[in-house]
Amino acid sequence: MDSATVTLLLNLVYHVLVLSLVALGLGVVFGMLGVMNMAQGEFLTLGAYAMVVAQRMQIAAGWGILLAILVTATLGYLVERWLVRPLQTRPLDTLLATWGLSLLVRKGIEGVFGRQYQNIPQQIGGSTQIFSVDYPSYRLALMLAIVCGLLVLGLWYKHSTAGTRLKASVANPVLAQAIGVDVKRQACMAFVCGVACTGLAGALLAPLVRVEPLMGIDYLLGSFFVLVVGGLGSLSGLFAGAGIIGSTQVLVSTMLDQTYGYLAVLTLSIGFLWLRPHGLLSNR
Amino acid sequence: MAYFQTAKQVASLLTLAACLVAVPFVTNDYRAYQLGTYLLYGVVAQGVALVWGRLGFLPLGQALFFGLGAYFAGLLLIHAQDNALLYLLLPLSILVPALLAYLVARLVFAGQYISGPNFSLITLALTMLGAQLANQFTGLTGGFNGLANIPQLGDLDRYSSMYFLIVALVLLSTALLSWLYQTPLGTLWLAISQNENRLQFFGFATDRLKAGAFALSAALAGSAGFLYAAQQGLVTPQAIGFQLSAELVIWTAVGGRFGPYGALLGAVGIGLLSSDLREIWVHWEVLVALLFIAVVLYFPGGIAHLLLNAYQFINRRSSTHVPAYAVAPKTPDLRAPPIQSYGRDSGPVHLRFDNVSVQRNEVSILNSLSLAVEHAGVYCLIGPNGAGKTSSFNVLTGRLARTSGDIFLGSQRVTGHRADFMARAGVGRKFQIPSVFGGLSVTDNLRIALWSNRAQARQLLESTTRQWRTDILDFLENTFTFLADQADKPAGELSQGQRQMLELSMTLLAEPRLLLLDEPCAGLSTVETQQQIEVIVQAVSRLGSTALVIEHDMAAVQRLSNEVFVLHQGQLLANGTLKQMQDSPLVQAVYAGGQK
Amino acid sequence: MSLPAQPNLKTGLVVQHISGGYGDTLVLRGVSLSLGQGQVLGIVGRNGVGKTSLLRLITGHLPVAGGTVSWQGRRMGKAPAHVNRDLGISYAPQEAVVFDALTVSENLNLRQRNLYACQAFFDSFPLVRQRLNQKSGVLSGGEKKLVSFVRVMAEGADLTVMDEPTEGVQQENIALMAAHVRQRCQQGASFIIAEQNLTFLLSVMHQVLVLGNGETVFQSDAFDREGLEQFLRI
Repeated sequence: MDSATVTLLLNLVYHVLVLSLVALGLGVVFGMLGVMNMAQGEFLTLGAYAMVVAQRMQIAAGWGILLAILVTATLGYLVERWLVRPLQTRPLDTLLATWGLSLLVRKGIEGVFGRQYQNIPQQIGGSTQIFSVDYPSYRLALMLAIVCGLLVLGLWYKHSTAGTRLKASVANPVLAQAIGVDVKRQACMAFVCGVACTGLAGALLAPLVRVEPLMGIDYLLGSFFVLVVGGLGSLSGLFAGAGIIGSTQVLVSTMLDQTYGYLAVLTLSIGFLWLRPHGLLSNR
Repeated sequence: MAYFQTAKQVASLLTLAACLVAVPFVTNDYRAYQLGTYLLYGVVAQGVALVWGRLGFLPLGQALFFGLGAYFAGLLLIHAQDNALLYLLLPLSILVPALLAYLVARLVFAGQYISGPNFSLITLALTMLGAQLANQFTGLTGGFNGLANIPQLGDLDRYSSMYFLIVALVLLSTALLSWLYQTPLGTLWLAISQNENRLQFFGFATDRLKAGAFALSAALAGSAGFLYAAQQGLVTPQAIGFQLSAELVIWTAVGGRFGPYGALLGAVGIGLLSSDLREIWVHWEVLVALLFIAVVLYFPGGIAHLLLNAYQFINRRSSTHVPAYAVAPKTPDLRAPPIQSYGRDSGPVHLRFDNVSVQRNEVSILNSLSLAVEHAGVYCLIGPNGAGKTSSFNVLTGRLARTSGDIFLGSQRVTGHRADFMARAGVGRKFQIPSVFGGLSVTDNLRIALWSNRAQARQLLESTTRQWRTDILDFLENTFTFLADQADKPAGELSQGQRQMLELSMTLLAEPRLLLLDEPCAGLSTVETQQQIEVIVQAVSRLGSTALVIEHDMAAVQRLSNEVFVLHQGQLLANGTLKQMQDSPLVQAVYAGGQK
Repeated sequence: MSLPAQPNLKTGLVVQHISGGYGDTLVLRGVSLSLGQGQVLGIVGRNGVGKTSLLRLITGHLPVAGGTVSWQGRRMGKAPAHVNRDLGISYAPQEAVVFDALTVSENLNLRQRNLYACQAFFDSFPLVRQRLNQKSGVLSGGEKKLVSFVRVMAEGADLTVMDEPTEGVQQENIALMAAHVRQRCQQGASFIIAEQNLTFLLSVMHQVLVLGNGETVFQSDAFDREGLEQFLRI
């Protein structure tokens, strides 16, 4: 294989993995809990800006990541308690309220940091030789971290008691309550984890992408496309969706153009909504 | 009533016209020019209000259609300077956005029978794509710097006379929307936002209604874009992208999404204010975001609704949340035209289930269910919980997909058709938990049922359609007196029992040839149950229809019908007269549970 | 129609004039009952009369519109449903009786870590032990009911509430289920069981409550088969 193909394949894998990481949060919040959180992308933005703060305060990147998780988890808890729970039975109002929240966060960030792009240095610089091509080390490290993280998550979800209890609470809340599981608390914790995960994604991606107040919207849309294609409520659906959307985007973007890549993904999603609205591997 | 309504509308419109026309004389041409731009945004916002406030789904990318109209018109105006024939293509700047909107809405709404977040997110994605394309194709659109040097439209000087053309568009759009809102179509739109599922069971293809309304909103946006290009002389990707789309939603929400005046108020009020304050006070936009959240949570009607409340309070009238038209003075009756027979056979209906099975994840909901109804009359469907009674209704009306088997209505194979198709084929359904249009008055609920399978498209735009009456309606109002006494009460404020009776009335008014009634007496007192049963028996015999009634109360079963179908574990266990069922050891075993 | 004697308030269940429903319809009106230690109450009635609603009211899955429920001297109804398990009340619902996506063994030890408590039941119902590692979704309706029965019995609660536990279960197993219930009774546990299967109920219950159209039609600790069958006839 020539180096161009290898690079393309690496880009493809990178893209699919990043998409999986980003869509995971919405997969939990919307796919599992059924909450349409229009501010999901803003949690990613907050994570990225946590790294900006860390950089300005001149502390290690590790603290930045911690800050990202802390901020998004706290905000997530407040949102779940005061916005999501009261509006549980009115999904359109949840959509509106979270859209309002996303507006607030974007304007807030713009007010504090301004509209310009922020620059975060990569913690692992340079490139590594892999499969006889040079590929940025940070990306490789990130890909490895994501694979490990998702594996651990998958195993946890499948085999741990907490994971089983969560699965049970979501699938059959009445029976779960009868057994003594506090379903409300489960839902709250799952929501907080879902948004914190997206915040973590933001912190990890910050050195690689454009960091600006509006960055979250593209990630919200990307996650949405993944869920539409892959289906709601399962990890395998998430991978399937990320695989298809990620590959399509990378391949079309490379062959033609970035914009055509986006157009291809959008057309694919509309097609799925039209013909197969539950996605490929729906659990609902 | 038509006159009263029109008088109020005309008065409002004239007031608006007077205010707007006065502006360049009261202030100056420059202020009018500024206002003109925001009036155009206002027209787009009116489209957002139509789709969101009236029909209940949220478009997050409306600027796409505005921008499309603007770019189209801009390009045509530039090139028409060399080739005058291109002027003829200008209507495309209105038609293309409308067609695109219709197509997208039909595709997105096709797969699911109620709106969800999908539509909002797809429109968001489209506006992002639009901005990307506008930035990218520099040759066509001028890229980031935009399409410049657009000439003005004809002789209209963009800093003076153009303003009046804009005002004309605003008045046209406001008049059109105000008129539409108070037609029967406007009531149907409102019904969609309240209970879309129910409306489908009256034979209305709600996905097409939604797509049509969305197309109208896109046409309005496109027209505004057209004039924008001529007025500004420059169209940048800002006109098609996310920022403007988001602002449109905010303006509509804060101004008031339930009517065209509110949307205008929002765009002009908040929009103009923002453009001045944005530079001065850096936290203005955060305040606006907070205002938006407050409106969504506490004042869904926006400023317009608050002003209306204040006005009515001053005039000491009670304010209700039910929007639009005033109470109608008594009008002469109009006999409704007959039911449209969309390819139906005439005569009594033959219903046949042929080995219908429904399998979900290893569970058999219906297990080779076969039953046949040959003659008109009332039949009862009984059986233990989980026997498949409601599921059989669901599979017949397209709410449950069958795994195998077929269903026939007369000679027509009707397996797998959608709910609205089945309703148009003459199948009426009443739900176990009464499902009505809570925010509409009792009268409007009944009217919608009357229009079912009767009103043609043209008639939905005529106000005389509201005056239709039928014999069945007279009969129902005599029995259920509250239908006339509490005609203007919102259906959501009726008691549970009254809602049951209202829903039964609505189902009967559509004069279906096959009636599916799911526990019509649930929650009714003894007296009310008697009334309900009487109405069912009499109405069914008058209409010559067939009714299938799911019931648990054996006393009710006895009075309703002589023929009974017993379902058990998704199959037909036995059928015959009630007496035969009572004497059958097979049936008793299922009920008395002794020998299981 | 004679009511059983009032049990010791500190150890029993006392329900007084309870009503509840959905929306603004009351599906259950003014039902009272009391249950002491080691007693079984059978709830009988045709479909749609409110058996499931009554059980939901008692176990906190349906908000109480009127009346009171007291368990071991404590007024119920304020706390969310999930605390009942810690208060000594177990519940096996009528529908969605197991977690389909979980294996049988996961279903059995979701809250407790020991399959040990289930041992006795595995001996009676070997098919449950055989299916421990299968996803519960593939079991038949009766097998799911058995798993639900084992789960709720293994919880060893002071009050066990069961909604149609024998639906779809095979004859032989029903008799064994009855034997287990009787055994637990002798150890002081109380049961409320809504059932269509009179044979099963007659072999375990001490009192009966017959519901009709949301109200009590008959309530006694003296009953016979013919009498009860009359209430169930259509």
